[in-house]
Amino acid sequence: MRTLNFAKRNFKEISRDPLSLIFAVILPLFLLFIFQQFDIPNESYKLENFTPGIVIFGFSFITMFTAMLISKDRTTSLLIRLGVSPMRPMEYILGYMLSIVPVILVQNILFFILAIILGLEFSINIIFSIGLSVVIAILFIAAGIIIGSISSEKASSGISSILVQLVCFTSGMYFPREILGKFFGTLCEYLPFESCLAILKGVMNNNTESIEMRNIIIFLIYTVVLLAVSVIVFKRKMVSDNN
Amino acid sequence: MLAIETKDLTKRYKDKTAVNGINLKINQGELFALLGTNGAGKTTTIKMLSTLIIPTDGQIKINGSDIEKDRQKIKKILNVSPQETAIAPNLSVKENLEFMAGVYQIRNKKEKTDELIKSFNLDQVLNQKAKTLSGGWQRKVSIAISLINEPEILFLDEPTLGLDVIARKELWSVIEKLKGKVTIILTTHYMEEAEHLSDRIGIMAKGNLIATGTSRELIEKTGAENFEDAFVKIATGGEL
Ligand SMILES: Nc1ncnc2c1ncn2[C@@H]1O[C@H](COP(=O)(O)OP(=O)(O)OP(=O)(O)O)[C@@H](O)[C@H]1O
Ligand SMILES: [Mg+2]
Repeated sequence: MRTLNFAKRNFKEISRDPLSLIFAVILPLFLLFIFQQFDIPNESYKLENFTPGIVIFGFSFITMFTAMLISKDRTTSLLIRLGVSPMRPMEYILGYMLSIVPVILVQNILFFILAIILGLEFSINIIFSIGLSVVIAILFIAAGIIIGSISSEKASSGISSILVQLVCFTSGMYFPREILGKFFGTLCEYLPFESCLAILKGVMNNNTESIEMRNIIIFLIYTVVLLAVSVIVFKRKMVSDNN
Repeated sequence: MLAIETKDLTKRYKDKTAVNGINLKINQGELFALLGTNGAGKTTTIKMLSTLIIPTDGQIKINGSDIEKDRQKIKKILNVSPQETAIAPNLSVKENLEFMAGVYQIRNKKEKTDELIKSFNLDQVLNQKAKTLSGGWQRKVSIAISLINEPEILFLDEPTLGLDVIARKELWSVIEKLKGKVTIILTTHYMEEAEHLSDRIGIMAKGNLIATGTSRELIEKTGAENFEDAFVKIATGGEL
């Protein structure tokens, strides 16, 4: 209950300061639209491949968004008040996560509506992939919690934009891995973004055979590890910021 | 029973000792004013007593329970109005009260918020976003919020800073109504406030608690004309 109460407050904070929200929705929508205006002769840019790419790309802004929300909270003395209250670290983390779920749903729904207008065929798999994307988003939110806990409000947008770039280059949404060269090719394999995209693509296109075991394992490992680290880091910071 | 008891309470930051082994005994229902010059260690003491930061050394007992062991239980019965106004900026005044009522899992939420709205005259700003309020109004809201869980022990860190004369007098009367029921630890730089409100006064200097007593006792002890002079004598070690 305390978690829900906190999530409600976070959601209000988010929706009343909508600049970064607009960023997280409008920019990916714009890219989705623009890239369909050219006839790029590459598989990546077909709607059924590019739309899930845009979803993952949109999630990198969720990281930025979460990081800024938390780093901003840390600068206000509201956290002093909450630090004295009986709220537990896990309740904060879940509260932050829950408040971001509506943002993810809005993103997804708008992305898919635009994709359908542009010619994507509607199928029930789109609904499944929206559900799945909420799970995938956990990884991105956890990354945001970590960044927001360790850096200032200014620095956290900078650090998060590195993640946005990494998603662009290593998820395979724009470039197939083959043309990236050895370094980025290997990076793709060890970072989770390519796997996230592969899983989402597979589900959305009803083509689950294309999802490799490797993708699932990498995704799970990253999610669990980032989540655990986010709890530890947030807890530490919660005490040391006040110390 | 004692509401607060500390033994050699100490807080060190790297090479700075903010609070240096203080021993405090505060009775239940007592209003204790903590005075001292800037940087004396008042806020740090309050932060330790209110579970926010962990002491480097020493012990704290709240209502007889050890603050380390019974942290979660103790958190429920205390509250703080921090030196810096602490409210959620994008929420309205009403939402701020409701939010904190949720944090403390208050059962009679509506009643309690209505009561606070009334005693702090918050009606006129109820639906205004907190960040658009004037400094003094933010402060009032911040103090009102700290009463949401009907704390048994209340820490007020410079509560009247930035309040106009009328608001200050209003707050005094709210505090006077709480007196006897709630144990209050209050810091202030206004001597007449400490004198007017408190049962007992403690004076800190450079992290040490150097004097405690009623305002009258402190005046007598220093042979000063009034309490302000007594404070200056004590805080400066008689140099001024
Ligand atoms: N996080 C911190 N790190 C290092 N030093 C600190 C920290 N917090 C407080 N101090 C130092 O501890 C001392 C006591 O600070 P504190 O805020 O408790 O004083 P205060 O009595 O509340 O002063 P004021 O009347 O100005 O509010 C100061 O010298 C301050 O610089
Ligand atoms: Mg202070």
